[in-house]
Amino acid sequence: MVRDIIRNLRKDFRVEFRSRFALNVSIAFAVITTTALSLAAGGVPFSPRVQSMLLWLIIFFSAMNGLSHIFVREEDQGTSLFLRITASADSIFASKLIYNLAFMAIVLCVVTPLFMFFMQVTVRDAVYFAGSVAGGGLSIAASTTIMAAMVAKAGGKGSLFTIISFPVLLPVLWLSILSTASSIESAGHADYGTLIFLLAFSGFITAISFLLFRYVWQD
Amino acid sequence: MDTDHYTLVARDISKSFGRNRLLRNINIALSTGESLAVTGPNGSGKSTLLMILAGLLKQGAGSVTHAASGEIHRDDWLAHIGYTGPLINAYDELTAVENIMFARHGAGACARMEALLERFRLAEHRDKKIKHYSSGMKQRLKIILSIINDPPVLILDEPGTNLDAEGKDLVRSYIDSVRSKKIIIIATNDPDEETLCTGGIRLG
Repeated sequence: MVRDIIRNLRKDFRVEFRSRFALNVSIAFAVITTTALSLAAGGVPFSPRVQSMLLWLIIFFSAMNGLSHIFVREEDQGTSLFLRITASADSIFASKLIYNLAFMAIVLCVVTPLFMFFMQVTVRDAVYFAGSVAGGGLSIAASTTIMAAMVAKAGGKGSLFTIISFPVLLPVLWLSILSTASSIESAGHADYGTLIFLLAFSGFITAISFLLFRYVWQD
Repeated sequence: MDTDHYTLVARDISKSFGRNRLLRNINIALSTGESLAVTGPNGSGKSTLLMILAGLLKQGAGSVTHAASGEIHRDDWLAHIGYTGPLINAYDELTAVENIMFARHGAGACARMEALLERFRLAEHRDKKIKHYSSGMKQRLKIILSIINDPPVLILDEPGTNLDAEGKDLVRSYIDSVRSKKIIIIATNDPDEETLCTGGIRLG
């Protein structure tokens, strides 16, 4: 199975980096919204809570453009049947999840420094801040992989994906916003319980997705 | 791929889409060395039947079993089947070699890939992205993808689609060369392809 996962991942990264469609759209969205926000703010400082909300809004919508792409592309290009006869459902899910985690990591690495620079965010607890951003990103990528598969099989596109993902991601976004705001405004009061919840949520949703994926993919 | 004696048995297969009953009580029994041509007009259910036999679509009623030394679990059927059809598409952004390497399993596939690329006259286009291929070249590649792992069961839905006379000859000669060692099922309306098979059913 590990060999299958590596084979699928190699294929997915090759296809993505030759077209760079999803990545380009996500990064363009992040750059445009951050720049527009910075210009609109005109140097007026936002409170940590508002900064945190804006950061997660940009991360959420930047990522949503790309996270569904991994399955929707297979349906749009008619390659899902080829994939299905070539690899096991378990290896497909594992490779798509890893791909989405990598995609999310790239989005976070682009959006977060850009946002901090343009919005002049000063972080007081850098470790807690990094943990909050990484934990939230992990939860979003883990939750959206199975939903991307459902949307692709339902013949839906990106807009449907964002809508059906929102209720599932609401607690993740809420906690990520709170913990990120907390890391921006005060040092030494890190609530690691929130990070543990985000990690547990990611693990739980990944386990459920792993069990459900075979039925979504084959039926 | 091992050379066990394979059997494929379908009993009373029926399939409906809404109120449209497409397949009704289809019975098929094949073992290694036997081949079947499935013919019929457009919309008669040829592709649906082949997808059911490959385990890609669930039948409405009836049963399908694949067996070698023992019955093969449905989840493992595709490891023993080479399938191609109009709904199969290779990755446009990848080259022929990359698509084949993605589809291959096990050792010895590299040498087999070289031989098949030569046999189907794609060797000189091996490093071109598939999006630059003609529809006939894509069809040749689809045939290679279905046979790269030397599966004991071959299910080919309209294998001659988009092929020129040379391409059709190549497919026919390949089928002719392996039919004594495999179960082969072909959906076709091409009389030449029908004659390759030891038996046939007509739908519709």
